[in-house]
Amino acid sequence: MINKVLVANRGEIVRRVLRACGDLGLRTVAVYSDADAGASYIRQAEEAYRIGEANPIKSYLNIEALVGAIKESGADAVHPGYGFLSENADFAEAVEKAGAIWVGPPSPILRAIESKCYCRQIATKVGVPVVPGSTDVLATADDISEVADRLNYPILIKLDRGGGGKGIEMVEGPGQIDEVFERVKRIGAMAFGNHDVYVEEAIVKPRHIEVQFTADHGGNVVCLGERECSIQRRHQKIIEESPSPVVSPVQREQLTEYATKLAQGMGYVGAGTMEFLRSGSGNFYFMEVNARLQVEHPVSEYVTGHDIVQWQLRIAAGERLNFTQKDVELTGHSIEARCYAEEPGTFRPSPGTIRGLHLPTMGRHVRVDHALEVGGTVPAYYDPLIAKVISWDVDRVGAIEHLRRALSEFWVEGIATTIPVNLLILDSEAYQSGRLHTGFLDELFAQEVAWDTYAPKRFAAES
Amino acid sequence: MDATITAHMPGLVARVVVEPGQQVTKGEEVAVINCMKAEMSVESHVDGVVKEILVKEWDEMEIGVPMVILETA
Repeated sequence: MINKVLVANRGEIVRRVLRACGDLGLRTVAVYSDADAGASYIRQAEEAYRIGEANPIKSYLNIEALVGAIKESGADAVHPGYGFLSENADFAEAVEKAGAIWVGPPSPILRAIESKCYCRQIATKVGVPVVPGSTDVLATADDISEVADRLNYPILIKLDRGGGGKGIEMVEGPGQIDEVFERVKRIGAMAFGNHDVYVEEAIVKPRHIEVQFTADHGGNVVCLGERECSIQRRHQKIIEESPSPVVSPVQREQLTEYATKLAQGMGYVGAGTMEFLRSGSGNFYFMEVNARLQVEHPVSEYVTGHDIVQWQLRIAAGERLNFTQKDVELTGHSIEARCYAEEPGTFRPSPGTIRGLHLPTMGRHVRVDHALEVGGTVPAYYDPLIAKVISWDVDRVGAIEHLRRALSEFWVEGIATTIPVNLLILDSEAYQSGRLHTGFLDELFAQEVAWDTYAPKRFAAES
Repeated sequence: MDATITAHMPGLVARVVVEPGQQVTKGEEVAVINCMKAEMSVESHVDGVVKEILVKEWDEMEIGVPMVILETA
C-alpha cells in the first residue's frame, strides 16, 4: 500500500506524476531548490519541502536532503521522475532504508543493471542479440586493441556505468585508442565516479528503437509497444513516435519477446525501457535498459491507452498487472516533440524568465506536458527541456498534422526555444516519408535554414 | 595592469583549465561553464599571465561574475 508520494524531481515531470497520484487518490509531496521556490507546480502538491540551493548537487542530487524531506513529510513512497537520481541505486537504497517504497526497480536490481556489461551478459544468456563487442570491462588500452582487432572500425569506447549520452566516444582506427580511452576515463571519473569501459562496434546510421515494458512483483512482464527515437542531437532525443514507421508486426513480436526475456532475466520490477539499435540491414541489437520513467512515455500512453505513471505506482504498491500481452493493441500513431530552451540554429542554451506564453490548443489529439508560466524562470542549472508537445491520430499523417498545428501555435517569449527545429523536422520530406536515422539532424542542418519560416505564429490579440 | 575574465553565461563552473602563473593568449580557453548541461567555453579576451583564480568547480555563475584575473603587460 502507498498513501503519500514524494516526487524527487523538478519541472514538467513533477506535474505529470502529481496528476497520476491525483487519479489514484494518493497524497503528494513536492521538493524544490532555491531556484524553483516560486514555481507554481510546487503548490500543486499538498506539501512542499525545500531541499537546498539552486546547484543540483546541493538539492536534486542531494540524497541526505531528500531523505530528510521523506522523513519530515512522512511520505511512504518516492517517485524519482527521470534524470537526477532516478536510476541511482544509492538513492533507491536510502529511500528503502528510510522505510519508503522506491517507485522503480528495487535497489539491488538497479545496482546490477547500472553495468552495461552485466546487461550484455544477461542478453547473451537469454538469446537476445547485442552489438558486437566486449561483454566484460576492459582495463587497459591493450585489452581494447585486442577486442577491437576482432571488430570492424569505427568502434565505440563506452563507459560501463555512463548515461545520458555521456562517455561514448568513437574510435576511427587503432591509432586513436589510447587518446579516446583516456578521454572516456576522464569523463567517467568526473561525471559518474567510475571509469570502467567496454567497446562496441559503431553501427552506421542506426535507428534507435526502444520497447516500453511493465513488470510486476509476480514476474509478469507486458510490453507496451515500441518507440522510435532516431531524431537526436548529440544523443539527446528531439522527436519520438510510436509505433515506429519501420517496425513490422513480425518484428514487433520479436522485439516484444526480446524485451520480455531481458526483463525476466534481470528480475526487473516496475516500468522500464529496453533500448535497441536497428542497423541499416534491419538487424536489431539490444543496447541498454533504462530503469526509469522516460521523457517520451506519453506516445506509448496514447497508442496503448495505459497510464504508465499510474502503473508504476500500482506496481510499487504491490498490485499485479491486470492485463496480458494479448490485451495490448497499438491504436493509431503518436508523436512527441521535445521543446528545449535553446537557440534553434546553434542549440546555444537560453535560460531566462518567461515573459509571454501561448500554449497550443489541446484536446483528444494534442497533449502538452510542461511546467511553464508567465513570470516563471528557466534556470541555467538544469536540463533545457521545457515542454513536450504530443499528438495522436488514427495514422502517422494525421499525427504529423496535429503536431505541426500545435507547435505553430506554441509561442514563448523571454527565452529562445527549439520549437522551430521541431517544425523544420516535421516539414521535411525525409521525416514525412519515415526515413529516420540518428544522423538525420546533421543532414537536415547541412543546408542553410531560414529560421523565420519556422517561427510559431504569434496571435494578433497578443502582439 | 590587471584584466578580469567574467562569466558570459549563467550556470555552474564545470572546470577551470588554467593555473596561476600560466601564460594565456587572447582567445584561449580558461574555464568551462555548464549551462543547462551544455559546456560553454570561457575564453580570455587578452594576452596575459594568470594572477588569480576566483572560482572552483560547481560554483554558481551569473553573467558578469569575475572568474579569472590576468596580469597583462
